[in-house]
Amino acid sequence: MDAGPATGSGIPLRVENLSVAYGERTAVDGLSLDVRPGEIYGLLGSNGAGKSSTIKAIVGLVRPARGTIRVFGFDVLTDSLATKARIGYVPETSMLYEALTPHEFLEFVSGVRRLDPERATARTRDLVTAFRLTEEFDEPIASLSNGTRQKVLVVAALLHQPPLLVLDEPLNHLDPRSLRLMKDLLAQYVRNGTRGVLFSTHAMEIAEQLCHRVGILDHGVLRGEGTLASLRERGAEGDASLEEIFLHLTQEDEGVRAALASLEKT
Amino acid sequence: MSWRAAFRLSQVAFVELSFQAIYAFRQGNVLPPGDTTKLSARARSRVLQSKGLVAGLLGFLTVGAAFILHTASFVAAVLLPTPIPVPMFQAGVLTALLSLDVAFLWWTGLQVLPTFLSAGVLPVLEPLPIDSPTLRQTAVILYLRLFDLPILTLLVLTPVVVGLALGPLAGFAILPGVVAAVVFALALALVTGRFFVRRVQGSRGGGGRSILRWTYMVLWVVPAFGLFGFVTLAPAFFGALTTLAAAGPSLGFDALVATFPFSLAALPPLLTDGSSSLPIGDGGLELLLAAGGGYVLLAVGAARWMGRAIREVGIAPPGIPVPADPRPPTLRTTGAIYAVLVKDLRMASRTPGYAFLILLPILDAVALGLLTYVTGPRPGTATSLALGAVTTAALLATFFGPAFFAIEVVAYSYGRTLPLSDRSLVLGKVSLIGAIYLVAGGLVLALADLRLDQPLIFLGFVLAELPAVLAASLLELGILLRRARKHGLPLVNLYTGAWVAILVSIPGLFVASAPLVAFEALRPYPQTVAVAAMALVALGSLSAIGLFVLRRQTS
Repeated sequence: MDAGPATGSGIPLRVENLSVAYGERTAVDGLSLDVRPGEIYGLLGSNGAGKSSTIKAIVGLVRPARGTIRVFGFDVLTDSLATKARIGYVPETSMLYEALTPHEFLEFVSGVRRLDPERATARTRDLVTAFRLTEEFDEPIASLSNGTRQKVLVVAALLHQPPLLVLDEPLNHLDPRSLRLMKDLLAQYVRNGTRGVLFSTHAMEIAEQLCHRVGILDHGVLRGEGTLASLRERGAEGDASLEEIFLHLTQEDEGVRAALASLEKT
Repeated sequence: MSWRAAFRLSQVAFVELSFQAIYAFRQGNVLPPGDTTKLSARARSRVLQSKGLVAGLLGFLTVGAAFILHTASFVAAVLLPTPIPVPMFQAGVLTALLSLDVAFLWWTGLQVLPTFLSAGVLPVLEPLPIDSPTLRQTAVILYLRLFDLPILTLLVLTPVVVGLALGPLAGFAILPGVVAAVVFALALALVTGRFFVRRVQGSRGGGGRSILRWTYMVLWVVPAFGLFGFVTLAPAFFGALTTLAAAGPSLGFDALVATFPFSLAALPPLLTDGSSSLPIGDGGLELLLAAGGGYVLLAVGAARWMGRAIREVGIAPPGIPVPADPRPPTLRTTGAIYAVLVKDLRMASRTPGYAFLILLPILDAVALGLLTYVTGPRPGTATSLALGAVTTAALLATFFGPAFFAIEVVAYSYGRTLPLSDRSLVLGKVSLIGAIYLVAGGLVLALADLRLDQPLIFLGFVLAELPAVLAASLLELGILLRRARKHGLPLVNLYTGAWVAILVSIPGLFVASAPLVAFEALRPYPQTVAVAAMALVALGSLSAIGLFVLRRQTS
């Protein structure tokens, strides 16, 4: 079973009125967004804004308090196997099966995904070579650096060529070469016009280079959404960078200035 | 800085250690739903409960041994097949008790050490401006706190109950033996932990290296197997003591006297009954005292070594694998059930706590199979022994079923995002438990075949019990999975989640025992009838439980 076809609806991801809560604390509040075919969607936000909670709800790690999530029309809660088969996920932290080697880990993942051995091997060889993982392929994950673990996760996410990639801060630990490779790969990945990528980050310059549209999340609420051009129209300066737009929409620009002033005094 | 500062640091660090022991967040688990502010307190409470449970079991063993000591003259003269001098019997009971203490604490250490290492508590303290002795002391306190209740139970309860059974002098005399047993157990846990970090955890995959890792694991687990093996082999041990006692002073007895823990366990009867109470020849008493003193000195050395080594083990990164020529990647992909089975075996080959659970039923079967072969009893007795071995393997495999679920806690936050159905997950684990049982049964059959009167009936017995083993593990894993989905994944390593493991094992043990009870009930009839009835009961259980559990596990 390779990644399921992008059937159902053609929309890679549709989130409607999503709320996620941990006990009394609400992490995401009434979020709605779409990832369209052929699109890289960047979910931006400060630490604790609700990006990871949103992503965890999409990949089935957290049960939403309210709202629906559909992957190519399949509901995440009622058709969880169908949605998981269509998603390639890179988590925020590289918490893997430390006792396995990348080789053993990828065999497990491809077994669970019921991939054809020959195709899986060919795909693995290409990805392992591209990300320069050959030397570490048979070493336990416990002994690998954070960057190498991140590459293993990226390879596992791309192994079954899923129609939807969900990436939670995927570029955190990557070296410049892998970072460039990843950016080009993502751009190429959606070029066929059917796949989608949801990608969370707080690195504005990367989002600016990579994303077709961005959503700005602040305290669990979507403050703004659209292309860079459309966001600029919402009150920021004419040629404002995404960082400036972000700070403006989250009303943090004043806060940053005040914090700096306060630090200068001490 | 001082021990007081180290204690203050350890107070904070132990909160984190308890949290990681229960929720395994650093190993990739997801936090359970609900109010996260209460998780830390809940984790501390569950760690305390587990320590209390281990302490309770040790206390039960100790009080049980004291009861046997108290009734020694009756047991040694009347209950044993061949009478044995009472002091010799008492020394034997105390040897058994101290051996069990070492094995049980060591085994607990094997369970706890991976958590101690993966929690990463010590590496967090290292970069802080704390002097080296304080860091060392903090590591020692943290390590000891994992075992505090069990250790206190042994150090306080053993002298008290031995004193009550044999007199106050005997109570004092057993203390060096208890202290040495505790220190050796903790040191052995640390030595094996260090070996694990340096050699096993970091070893490369592929190229037959997993066979090498399993060989390491067997070598490593064999001594800890003493916990169970000693109980299994206790009749043989007391038989040997009887023979030695009857033979009088001999080289064999001198060797026993020089062995731990006999040299320290013999002190209480020696002090209460005098040296003539044991078959000690010329120089035997000196040998016993020298050996006992030597073991106490060794324990002091081991304690000093631990003082240095705990920090080193706690902060050591896994061993760096030996470089090897990279091979072109080849994936042997299979179905999801087999993928789960292979993943668990591979993880167990680098995780001592899990390896132990797989190897224990198998080693026990080997020990009993060998005993059957070597002692060569009459065919009827051999069959009984072999049936006992297979029964034990079935019950052990079933009892440890919940622990195999604990492997899922590792990287749970990743594993749950894969399209792996609950049904495949459960069947993968059930296959592993079934395989363990079949290997154990096969080994008994291979070793005891020549001594059995009806090998085919025995093979029938092994196969007839298999569906019940599968049904029992299905039931246990089904309950655990349901609980995991509802409350977040319960960590059920036998130390930090002992209550969960034991409670879930109880219905499983009933299911696994039902065919054995049917077999025993029909034993007066021809054995083919008894085995057929057993198979019917087992298949009935598997059908009913399979329908109930697998029908529910669809997503």
